[in-house]
Amino acid sequence: MTQLSPHEAYAGSDGPPVKISLPDAEEIYPSVYAIPFSRAGNLILVKAKADTTEGNFILDTGCPHLVLNATYFRHYPVQESEGDGNGATAGTFSIQHTRVADFSFGTNHFYQVDADLTDLGSIENSRGIKLLGLIGVELLRKFEMIIDYENNLIYLHRLDRKGTSVFEQDQLADTSAYQVIPIRIMDSRIMVETMVGGKKLRLIIDSGSEANLLDSRLPERVFAEVSITGRTTMMGVGGKKIDVLKGELNTLHIGGVDIRQMKVLVTNLEKTCFSHAGCVDGVLGFDFLSLKKIGFNFVKNKMFVWK
Amino acid sequence: MTGQKKYNMRKRWKVSILALGLLMLNHMALAQDTIKVCTVKNGQQYIWLSKNLPDWELNAFISQFSLEGLALKKFIQSGFTDSILLGGWKIGLNNSSQFTISKPLLSFDRVDDPTLRLILAEKDVSFDARFPRISNQLQFGYNQFRKKSTFPIYQDSTVLFYLRDHKNANQVMLAGSFNNWDPATLMMKRTDSGWILPVKLLPGKYWYKFIVDGKWMIDNDNDVQENDGLGNTNSIFFVPNHVFRLKAKEGSRKVIVSGSFNGWNEGQLNLQKQNGEWVLPVYLAEGTYTYRFIVNGQWMEDPSNPDHFPNEFGEYNSVVRIGTPMLFQLDGYPTANRVFLSGSFNNWSDYEVALRKTPGGWEVPYILGPGNHEYRFLIDGKPDSAQNHSLILDPNFTFRSKAFKHAKTVYLAGDFNKWSPTMLPMKRIGEEWVVDVHLSKGKHLYKFIVDGEWVLDPANKLWEDNEEGTGNSVLWVE
Repeated sequence: MTQLSPHEAYAGSDGPPVKISLPDAEEIYPSVYAIPFSRAGNLILVKAKADTTEGNFILDTGCPHLVLNATYFRHYPVQESEGDGNGATAGTFSIQHTRVADFSFGTNHFYQVDADLTDLGSIENSRGIKLLGLIGVELLRKFEMIIDYENNLIYLHRLDRKGTSVFEQDQLADTSAYQVIPIRIMDSRIMVETMVGGKKLRLIIDSGSEANLLDSRLPERVFAEVSITGRTTMMGVGGKKIDVLKGELNTLHIGGVDIRQMKVLVTNLEKTCFSHAGCVDGVLGFDFLSLKKIGFNFVKNKMFVWK
Repeated sequence: MTGQKKYNMRKRWKVSILALGLLMLNHMALAQDTIKVCTVKNGQQYIWLSKNLPDWELNAFISQFSLEGLALKKFIQSGFTDSILLGGWKIGLNNSSQFTISKPLLSFDRVDDPTLRLILAEKDVSFDARFPRISNQLQFGYNQFRKKSTFPIYQDSTVLFYLRDHKNANQVMLAGSFNNWDPATLMMKRTDSGWILPVKLLPGKYWYKFIVDGKWMIDNDNDVQENDGLGNTNSIFFVPNHVFRLKAKEGSRKVIVSGSFNGWNEGQLNLQKQNGEWVLPVYLAEGTYTYRFIVNGQWMEDPSNPDHFPNEFGEYNSVVRIGTPMLFQLDGYPTANRVFLSGSFNNWSDYEVALRKTPGGWEVPYILGPGNHEYRFLIDGKPDSAQNHSLILDPNFTFRSKAFKHAKTVYLAGDFNKWSPTMLPMKRIGEEWVVDVHLSKGKHLYKFIVDGEWVLDPANKLWEDNEEGTGNSVLWVE
């Protein structure tokens, strides 16, 4: 018997491309959809159906595109391309893609959506959840999105090109209830400017990150605001050991609001530099997001943080 | 951590940072008696310690910052630097009263890879997976309380949760794995000594916290706690299903129970004296266990328990059985002297479980928990067959394959049988190879072994990569 690698033996088929839908999405007003979510740890999980396979997607604003778990999608038509790492990363790796014929919820359809295929098995194993993939920022860009952690609901409101909509979302009517903070979309990531220890920091808003991250290479005046409370070692690629420091950030200044005593992980983010837009200084994850109700208008580049 | 402690730590840390700055400028040692700092400086993790820290303070620091591998005590006592340097640390300042060490913080490769990023920023696993009442990982558990006795448990399996003191509180709520950590449903009642609430719970493991006037707190009188890796700690309560008892004799000062359920640990399980007897309630998962008491350092059988197995010292170990027994039977062998049951469940012991002779052969009742087990009979020392027998308790899933038409043998191996290549032979039924197994809820990885060759399940499109790059088939049990 000749031993084929599983990649050869179970190569992609020429069958019809996949259709994915979010069956729990409900239209509560014309063009406003409410999607209930559950949580695995602090991750936002949305129920989905890919052809006949049922499972979950993580709503992951730290992820630019749609990502599909290779376990469930590799037998669909697959194309390969060379990735070149990002920024400072040396070396190439092969990226597999597939195309989703129709990604839909309610009457919203996205046709011919490109998706990266990657192995999310280790997340499934550690979380005990069946994970079909990650919903990234690209799919959300035509919407106003409100994540209501208290009621476990995501509201998605289709916008026209100017970012205004025919029907104002009820929740945004009382403008005194929330703070508006400008955001920028860089390489399909949500970037926000913040201030720590008098230094401007560019942080990514990442609902797929349960912790907040700070780059260890930031200047000392930033770390004067951080009390380091612990240290842990994690396994990187190829068994390389990576040290991560745990700490508490005294004050983060964001859009006129001071957020105090926020937990952070400190690690070297050298390799988070994106090809065109440069590096980020850190990530605001669930510890930040769950503090408030939070919303985004991706057309007008605004973030809403409820008081 | 209390607010007060937090404040002190921050204050001390700030003082220390100021001192660090001065130190850097002046290259002079400051008269600081207890410096213990971990900080980040120029992309490096930076540690600054006094050499005269009290032992407990140094130990706490080492454990807080996971510095166990650096032999810091040896360095302080005798200048031993090998472990520090081998760990990739550089020694900076080093004088008679203090020292600094530093090490670069390395970068994750491709931290924007979704898997790596999610794992890096990962906090905890899913709810059910994190707080299971009963799980294959949990063989036994016990409670340890100080200043108050363990929560009383009534006949109908009601546990009376009790928070001591807090008499000035306006409201105390109880939240835990038994109510999905809902902070609003279980309101405790005020008593003259604290707060109580009865909750009906089946035997098993539970995580809980009290919420006193809105503030979450662990049970400070309960020594059994678990950190979720986030700095968040919960109290643990085991609802017991067995009590170890020994009549108190004069002169017995210390009674310990040690057994197969805790790896025969001799220092873990102290019995408490209560109304003239020593007792220890425990939770034990379904199965058969052996144990002995250690009274004032002397090992002994449980005198009140007639159920026992011989041990390797020619004496006996007492036996506790939880669950419903099944009968192991072996036909024939009328002339054999002794027959033993030996299996994955008793460490393949060849002297522990003896079968008794019956008119038609041999038999013994024995209790095993759900799972995929393996065993053989030893007839006067010789196994009854060349292959071990597999025993699947609570089979709830059937693996089938129509591939491998010309194969001579097909086995199934996976995480559910520790990837044993010979334990789960598949049977050919018509065109199919078939085997029944017990699978817990959740995700499982498996492969077939066809005429000695490990292969993925050709009929299952789902597989994920493994370390060898050969893949494992993936299956979900809902």
